[in-house]
Amino acid sequence: MTEVAVTASSTSRERVGFSPNRVGVIAVNTLTEAIRQKVFIFLLIIGLVFIALAIFFAQYSLGEQEQLKFIKDTCLGVISVISTLIAIVGTAQLLPSEVENRTIYTILAKPVWRFEFLLGKFFGSLLLLTVSMVAMCMMFGAVLWIKEAGMIRDLSQTYLGQTAADKADAIQQIQQLKTTALDFDLVKAALTDLVKAILVASITLLVSTFSTSLVFNVAVPFMVFIAGMLRGTAAEMWGAHHLFMAVVAIVPDFGLFSIADEINLGNVVPWTHIGEVVVYGLARTVIIVLAAHLIFSRREI
Amino acid sequence: MRTKVLAAIVLFGIGFALLPLENSVRAQRQQMKYGGAHVTFQLREAIGQNLAIALLAGMRGVVADFIWLNSHGFWEKKEWLRQYRDILVVVTLQPQSILFWDLGQWHIAWNIGYGALSDPQNRTKAEGIKREHEWHQKAREFLERGVENVPGKYNLYFALGWLYYEKLSKDCDEPPCQEALCKATEYFRTAASFPDAPQFVPRVYARALEKCGDIRGSYEEWKRLWYLDRSKTDQTWSIIEREIRQIENELQIPNAERVFPISKP
Repeated sequence: MTEVAVTASSTSRERVGFSPNRVGVIAVNTLTEAIRQKVFIFLLIIGLVFIALAIFFAQYSLGEQEQLKFIKDTCLGVISVISTLIAIVGTAQLLPSEVENRTIYTILAKPVWRFEFLLGKFFGSLLLLTVSMVAMCMMFGAVLWIKEAGMIRDLSQTYLGQTAADKADAIQQIQQLKTTALDFDLVKAALTDLVKAILVASITLLVSTFSTSLVFNVAVPFMVFIAGMLRGTAAEMWGAHHLFMAVVAIVPDFGLFSIADEINLGNVVPWTHIGEVVVYGLARTVIIVLAAHLIFSRREI
Repeated sequence: MRTKVLAAIVLFGIGFALLPLENSVRAQRQQMKYGGAHVTFQLREAIGQNLAIALLAGMRGVVADFIWLNSHGFWEKKEWLRQYRDILVVVTLQPQSILFWDLGQWHIAWNIGYGALSDPQNRTKAEGIKREHEWHQKAREFLERGVENVPGKYNLYFALGWLYYEKLSKDCDEPPCQEALCKATEYFRTAASFPDAPQFVPRVYARALEKCGDIRGSYEEWKRLWYLDRSKTDQTWSIIEREIRQIENELQIPNAERVFPISKP
């Protein structure tokens, strides 16, 4: 915040233009504060532990392909849920804590636009989500790598001393395993999960601009998320009713971000589809942050 | 108040403006057959409240896996009907999963079928056989649904062919039932037409043609396999050679037309 203070000392508030630097400083500061919070650390550790344990859950299943599927399903499910929870819990307290601790008065008394402050807070939340997503994905990759190595070792030992045809079969199975275990397409699932979490964070930010209750800030985005998961069903059932669809248009369709299952099942998920999903998610995010700004800019603090 | 109304208008307005993009993504998903059954009251009844919540949180795969493990437990306890119910729920949740369709039909036709046949509560042996046949038919219907859901991969065509070949061909008064064997060849042919089908699939197709009674067709298929480009094809050539020699003897193919002419003493 020193940089902000230096800038502020020489100019009046009216003359100061929008500064990405100030947004960046607030974002980094928000990230630092969030990482120090026990809730974030707790959620991240829970996520990492569950991902690591997936390798043991899979032992209950029968075949190798089943085990790989179970590991991927569990890990991707954990990544999706934990990133959503971090998005809600991490963002819900950003504004209320600033108001409660009265630090917001110090910041806004300086030539910092409310929009810069809001954007800085939001980008801080985004950085937090990215850090946690990278950590969980690295753990997921490590689990898959360990499982793949173990399966290759088992296959090699099974076919040791067998006929040439069996060995050729083993080589074929190992090659197939290498393509299915560490599938690069899983990056697409992580990307859509990240965009989904960003969208959830923006909703939480919007709610926290007009509410001071932490419980309310956590509960409402969660309910919106559940409603968003049911948007697909609603669209199929009442898609013809334009008025109804216009009303529910306020809730994003979170079901569109669920592509992890498809990737895990070996279905082709083209990058163009991922692109459209990402554009949809980010467009929604921009609108919601804009609405949050409209409310926050006039809020009496 | 004015700004809150303005914010609501922004949210509704632009949300409404984004509907075409949303519908486009949804249409793509439907076209590519993504997802599975929606969370309906019936599904919620079938999977229980906790799993329904997990499903709503986007953990469809985990829920399906959990029910699959549960169904495996029913198999161990020989509770066939419960196992069958769970298998149906699993494929409803993940209709794109080859693994669930393939293993599910194996459980239904092979395990549950045998369980019904050898059930001590059967009054007569005939009742056991009848019940086994019913499970075979259930497995067939199940796999046909599987093929409808995953039409772009060889696996379920092969599984359906194998079901006809191994099980349904024996479900008639005088086995093997020619009709079922010939039906198996249709599915094997489709499975073999996929470029990623393993090397044994076309061999099984050729063998099934022979069983169906089309020995000439089988010979032509073996020959086609024999003349494939070996630099690009991975095959067990010794098996193909053995089969060709056998059919050439059986059909008494003239020496000049044989792939492997008999050397004169």
